[in-house]
Amino acid sequence: MKHEFSREHRQYLAKKKRNLALVWALRLGILALFIGLWESITALGLVDPFLMSSPSRICKTIASLYRDGSLFYHIGVTLLETLIGFAIAVVLGCVIALALWWSETLKKVLEPYIVVLNALPKIALGPLIIIWFGTGSEAIVFMTVLVGIIVATLHMLSAFLATDNNKVLLLRSMGASKFQILFKLVIPSSLPSFISMLKVNVGMAWIGSIMGEYIVSRAGLGYLIVYGGQVFKLDLVMSATCILCILAAGMYFLVVLLEKLIVKDAKS
Amino acid sequence: MKNEILRFDNVTLTYHTKRGETTAADDLTFSVREGEFVAIIGPSGCGKTTLLSLAAGLLVPSGGKVTRHGSCGYMLQKDELFPWRTIEKNIYLPLEIKRQNTAERRKQAQELAKKYGLADFLQSYPPQLSGGMRQRAALIRTLATEPDILLLDEPFSALDYQTRLNVCEDVSSIIRSEQKTALLITHDISEAVSLADRVIVLTKRPARVAFEHELDFGDETRPIKRREKPQFSTWFEILWKELNA
Repeated sequence: MKHEFSREHRQYLAKKKRNLALVWALRLGILALFIGLWESITALGLVDPFLMSSPSRICKTIASLYRDGSLFYHIGVTLLETLIGFAIAVVLGCVIALALWWSETLKKVLEPYIVVLNALPKIALGPLIIIWFGTGSEAIVFMTVLVGIIVATLHMLSAFLATDNNKVLLLRSMGASKFQILFKLVIPSSLPSFISMLKVNVGMAWIGSIMGEYIVSRAGLGYLIVYGGQVFKLDLVMSATCILCILAAGMYFLVVLLEKLIVKDAKS
Repeated sequence: MKNEILRFDNVTLTYHTKRGETTAADDLTFSVREGEFVAIIGPSGCGKTTLLSLAAGLLVPSGGKVTRHGSCGYMLQKDELFPWRTIEKNIYLPLEIKRQNTAERRKQAQELAKKYGLADFLQSYPPQLSGGMRQRAALIRTLATEPDILLLDEPFSALDYQTRLNVCEDVSSIIRSEQKTALLITHDISEAVSLADRVIVLTKRPARVAFEHELDFGDETRPIKRREKPQFSTWFEILWKELNA
């Protein structure tokens, strides 16, 4: 097909390509500039690297964490807590949303409770969580679920309720049962919303797990940040934060990948 | 006289909302016989869609009786094809819902789609098709379960004028050649006159049968040809006056 493109179309494609290259160059440029500036002002002594840390000190800290074997231990702990909390929040959120979609009465009954739970800052429950779940990973997973579940429920419920009424009418005219309407129409048409809910909840899960580790923990990236702050080792704080950035971005890109895999129709 | 497929006897329907109740239909009586193409026209907001919901059995009348012999297929204003399904899968949808999804029925539906020009589009997704093609696919989907009566709810009103005439021609020829019974509800007088054997005029809400006419186009069933006939404008004028009475 390629050789059949007209000159104008080839120019158009080339322009698109140049634009993409420019965007990427600027993205990487900003990152390089940021790191370079940070490194140079600390190296030149304009700011105190003890307070600001610096890219080279972060690299050294990460390397030493790696050498004493604790790097992957802390990453593993936090990652596991986040993923488990994320999965539970998403699954339970979808199940609750389905129940609320199914029963109008149930939805009306539970509405005020959901609104209150949504507005409540989950960190307020910190002391309770420590008492109920102790200071292990269970407490952190619980906090992660708590932060994510309401968002997942509300997001999916609004997606289910936004199902096109005419399509429901069409299915009902075919004699469809509520189950059939659910599986043939409501769930498939909510797939794009499901993906956007996952994207939002990636962020929520990290908030939950790090918040949980702030309150109670003996390991994990949140623990490193809190510990680093307490003993004034800002290199450690910055290192853990950088690793968090990378992990959160990685998880987000996995969701984007999933989106490309399952939402493939209706695009071309 | 052929068998009646659909019959409304003194049908009354009242809607209830918090604010009060509205009578959408009052003492409505009419029937549709086998093989007939009946058009119902009425002023906007007279409860046309309500009437089709009654005919499809989606609403239960508050009074009177709706009798339908055989199954029905419902076609809406928009095609309502599911964008995540291919055209082929969309056409099989009613078979899945009615648990008739056998290889034989699928083949029949596929044959029908091929016969009416959808052969090249079976594996396409709805957004890749033109509005006219999509409405044609919607009709084939409606026909897949071989309904005894087709209920058409202004099936052309969402299309632009040019496409509309073509799709109208299409739908008419498909329905006629498959010898289907059809009940069309529309507010478009010219559409009713160009398609139907019989036209029923409803009053304003609450809907009631005001007038009923057998159209005298003889064997001419093609909408475009009908529009050229002298009777066309006569009927148009009569119905226009009756609608505005």
